[in-house]
Amino acid sequence: MKPAEVSTPSDREVLVKRSFDAPVNLVWQAYTEPALMRRWLTAMPGWSMPVCEMATHVGGKYRWRWRDENGQEFGFTGEMLEVALHSKIVHTQIYDPGDCDFGSMGGEPSIITVTFNETNGITNVATSIKYASKADRDAAMSTGMTDGMEMSYQSLDGVLAG
Amino acid sequence: MWMNRLDQAFAALADPTRRGIVVHLARGEASVSDLVSLFSLTQPTISSHLKVLESAGLISRSRVAQLRPCKLETEQLKAVTDWLEKLQEIWEGNYQRLDALLAELKQAQKEEPNK
Repeated sequence: MKPAEVSTPSDREVLVKRSFDAPVNLVWQAYTEPALMRRWLTAMPGWSMPVCEMATHVGGKYRWRWRDENGQEFGFTGEMLEVALHSKIVHTQIYDPGDCDFGSMGGEPSIITVTFNETNGITNVATSIKYASKADRDAAMSTGMTDGMEMSYQSLDGVLAG
Repeated sequence: MWMNRLDQAFAALADPTRRGIVVHLARGEASVSDLVSLFSLTQPTISSHLKVLESAGLISRSRVAQLRPCKLETEQLKAVTDWLEKLQEIWEGNYQRLDALLAELKQAQKEEPNK
């Protein structure tokens, strides 16, 4: 499959697109069943997802938490705003920094929209992250940069250790 | 400081006209009047867009030549694309694990078609 495409369609939004070689019912399962979600949604190398409480009905609350090898944690919580089986999930997302100093991500919840679209056994998934304000998006972007840099330092450590 | 600059660059690039200006400048330098006729916008509008791009470090304007041609600052543009690449890496890492999981689920479904 072609690698994920990341774009910034507006000053409040980040859009990620990717296709998967599987029918939509399986992709949906992987996105909504905690036992499956924990196997792929691990955020970054060296991280795991010890808490994955999911909700698939409107108004339901979810809680996701990640932990790294040193026991540092961060998480997301939120509420399901729209759930259309095999086609769309819309939810709010509040960042809980835990004991990770990733910088501020802003207090206002972001709105996440994930759409699923199957053609000939290939499922296209588009994830839109809409931040409450441009300041929140910029803060999240700075966080992403930190994560990314942390990741390259870790790979560098690996190379040096080898 | 550096991060503020990056945030500014993202904000500057969120506007379609400013992205258009950046794309145009990637082909070479241009003066304000070149850009005015190219985008069919007024001179003050183009100038205010250029000001935003300049303070974000994405372009520079010659202080010497009378027409003060605008030039793309590729270093700053690279900082933006680098950031998007890092974000892409994180998502792609998750998605590759999802690819493997989906292949497994497909296989399981094939083996137990009635499940």
